[in-house]
Parts: sequence; C-alpha cells; structure tokens
Amino acid sequence: MRQFRQKRALAGLLVPAGLFLTLFFVVPLLVVLLQSLQADGTVSLQRYVEVLTDAQVRRVYLRTLRLGLIVTPLAALLSYPAAYYIARRSQRRRSLLMSLVILPLMTSPVARTYAWLVILGRFGLVNQTLRGLGITAEPLRLLYTERAIVLGLLQLFLPLMILTLVSAMENIPHDLEEAAASLGAGRIKRFFKIVVPLSADGLVLGGTLVFTGCITAYVTPAILGGTRVLTLSTLLHQESMVMMNWGGATVIAVLMIATTLVVHGALRATRPRTA
Amino acid sequence: MHESRFFAWALGVVLLFLLGPFVVILVASFGSEAIMTFPPEGFSAEWYGRVLSIASFRDAFTTSLVLALAATLTALILGFPVAYAIVRFDFRGKHAVEVLFASPAIVPALVLGFALLRFFVFVLAVPIVPGLYIGHTAVLFPYTVRVISASLRNLDPAIEEAAISLGAGRLRTLATVVLPNVRAGVVAAFILAFITSFNNVPISLFLTGPGVATLPIEMLIYMEYYFDPTIAALSSVLILFTILIVQGAERLLGISKYL
Repeated sequence: MRQFRQKRALAGLLVPAGLFLTLFFVVPLLVVLLQSLQADGTVSLQRYVEVLTDAQVRRVYLRTLRLGLIVTPLAALLSYPAAYYIARRSQRRRSLLMSLVILPLMTSPVARTYAWLVILGRFGLVNQTLRGLGITAEPLRLLYTERAIVLGLLQLFLPLMILTLVSAMENIPHDLEEAAASLGAGRIKRFFKIVVPLSADGLVLGGTLVFTGCITAYVTPAILGGTRVLTLSTLLHQESMVMMNWGGATVIAVLMIATTLVVHGALRATRPRTA
Repeated sequence: MHESRFFAWALGVVLLFLLGPFVVILVASFGSEAIMTFPPEGFSAEWYGRVLSIASFRDAFTTSLVLALAATLTALILGFPVAYAIVRFDFRGKHAVEVLFASPAIVPALVLGFALLRFFVFVLAVPIVPGLYIGHTAVLFPYTVRVISASLRNLDPAIEEAAISLGAGRLRTLATVVLPNVRAGVVAAFILAFITSFNNVPISLFLTGPGVATLPIEMLIYMEYYFDPTIAALSSVLILFTILIVQGAERLLGISKYL
C-alpha cells in the first residue's frame, strides 16, 4: 500500500514536466533525425553522403572544430591564475569578484558581441589607434575573420572556465598549501605542484563546457564572422532559413548534436575519478 | 615583480578583457556621428531617445518580457516537483530522469530551435506565440531543476518528517515548511531562468515570425541595416540592468554557485 502511494506521488511529480519535455524536446529531435535519414520516401543515407562530401560543409566543420580547439586552451591558460587568485580570497571579496566575472555570461549576447564590432570595426578602437600612431595607413579588416570570432568566444566562455576552476579549487584543503609553504614552497611553486594537479577535474569539466559551447555558439559567429566566415551554427541557419535546403539542414543539425555528444562522452570518460 | 602579485595581475588582465568591451560600448553610445566610430566624435544622447522612439523595439521588449515571465514561471512550477522527486525519492530510472532534465542545456539550443520549427510547422501547425513559449520553457528546465535540487539538498528531510508526523498533510508541509526554506533557491532559479529566456537567440531565431520578434532578434535585424549608435545605446541600457541584477543576485543569493 505504502509503495503504491509512493508510486502515485512520484508519477504526480514527474509526469507533467516529463510529458512536456518528451513532446517538445525528445520527439522534435527524433523527427529531425528521421527526416535526415529519409530521401525520396525511403530510408537512406543519401542526404548524409551529399552533405558530408560537400567541400564547403567540410571546410565549415573543420573551422568550427578549430575554433573550439583554439579557444579552449586559451581560456584554460588565462583562467587558471585568475581563478586561483579568486579562490583564495575571503568570502566577501570572492563574491564581488565572481559577480564581475560572470557578467559576460548574463549579458544579452547581442549587446556583448556588438561591443566587438565597435572595437574591431573599420573605424573602431583598434583601427583608429593604429592609424593615429601612424602604424597603418588603411584600416585593417579585423571583422569577419576567425580571429574576431575567437575573441568573442573567449569573452563569452572565460567566465564558465573560471567558475568551474574556482569551485574545484575551493575543494582543495588549505592545509596542503600551508604545509607546502611551511616547507618553503613559494606561491607559484604551490600553484603548479598542488593547485593545478588537484583541480584537473575542474579543468576537464570546464574544457568540455567551453569546447561544446564554442562549436554550437550562434550569435558570436553570426555577428563577428558574418556570411564570410561560417561555422556549423551559422551554416545551419543559412541552409534552412535562407537557402530553404531543409534536407541538408537536418543533416547539419544531426552532425551538431552528434559532435556535442561525442565530446561530452569522451571527456567524461577521461575524467579522473575522485572520492 | 613579487611572485604573489602575478595572480592579481592575471585576474586584472582577465577582467579588463571581460569588462573593457562594455565600457567601450557605453562610450560609443554617446557619439554624435551616424556611423559608429571609436573614439566617438562629438557628444550626443540622441540615440537613447531613438531607441525609445522605435516602435518595433518597444513591441519586442514587451514580447521578451512577457515571454520570459511566462516561460520562467512554467519551468519553475513544473520543474519544482521534478527537483523534489529527484532529491527526496529513490526510484528506478532516476538517472534517466536527471539526464532528461539536464539535456536541453547539452543539446545545442540552435538545433532544438530548428527541430521545434520543423515539428511545429510540419507536424502540429502551432502558431508563433505558443511556439515561442513552448520552446523557451523547454530550454529553461535544466536551470530550474538544477538550482532547486541544489537548494532542496541543503534542507534536512527530518524537518519535513517532523511536520508530517505532527499531522500536517503533504501539501501543507510543502507550503509551510519546504517552500519557505528553499525560497532563496527558487528566487535564484527564477532570476537565472528569466535572464536565460530574455537573452535567448537560438530558439527565437527559428520560432519568431511576421510581426512577432523578441528584443535580441529585433536588435539583430536592425543591425543588418544600420550601423549607427542606436544598438550601442540599447545595449548600454541592457548591460546596466544586467549589472544591477547580477550584483544583487550574487550578494544576496550567491548566484554564481548555481551557474
């Protein structure tokens, strides 16, 4: 009887939201998967062959992976010392610093990315400075390049990396560092010998989030890369909403999910086990 | 350089990179030229007036506000029971439930937007506004479920058991014992979900249609045609609001713990 009542209570708690997500999340994704496997009314891999042998798609796919592979280590490198500084502050100071660090994550993506147009544009901060100093005569083309996208993605995902590293570092007992200090190890030595190895978990988790974030971001490549430097996301939008190539778009959509899931799975598997 | 200063400098450089662009956009929004230049030539606040005078921005702002409120409340009301079940019950398939409710944050939002468009247009014929509402709600579940679970985990189940053994029913216990104790978590979930919906582009990109646009989409459309400081002015206002909300939420609720 008790068990029956518990089952009923559980169903009451889980069914409404579960139904919602099944109908409006699982099913639509399955429909896209099925549509991608369909051509001329039969099941076939024809669409995949068409899309994957397309030189433009391959170039865009490789560029998307490359962006993730550039931004992720850069984010890790910049985040580590900054996160260490934050993690060793008092509660109050840490809270203040965190509220500054997370701002780019919480700001409207259009507003955040627009700032880079002002910085990198033809008459923007960088070009005006270079011209003012007499280094260049003509404005450089900085926008609509992979480098511009890298800057935008870095600003967006540094906070995520710092957050995960700070919470990993908070779990490292202070005694370890105090012991090392009393034996004469300086801050930098302690950082490399204690903090970095013991926060490797956070690095792997942060790296996964940053990498998958980079390869699926839309607003940043759309504004800073435009139609000239396409990524998988901007290509998906282009193929579906502009070219109306729905068949090709479903394959790109499946490719994006598959890549994300593979990266999640692979990095999770290498994640060091902690007690 | 003293070696401990290295870390302070590193943080300084990172903060400059993260926040410097916001200062740039604020300064640029007061330029007087109709083509954006930096540093701006001349001073003018006219672009702020222009933001308010454009009807499509006003409409889009209202749409975004109502949409974010409705989606957030739905994801909270449906998500709370899920969080409660995950934290308080042991059952078969619990891991699957956790994965299901985390996955809208793992699956690329752009792909979900695309899938919902295909599904709504070709299978269900759902109109634009309900479509937007459903799409936004779906992506908010991971936030509400995760934040509320975290705050329920910090609540000792013995308190609930005490209330029940003293004769309070399940619902009464929920209303008078559980909810007041996880208030901070619910507020944090609300803020996080609201901001996520208000800023969302990838879902709205596919689900907006003629006459209905959210604010970020309207800004993207405007940017395709004009490069004057109007968007800088609007962005500055959004950034200032975000700073106020984030400062408050971090100080009172420690919202960065939930991200």
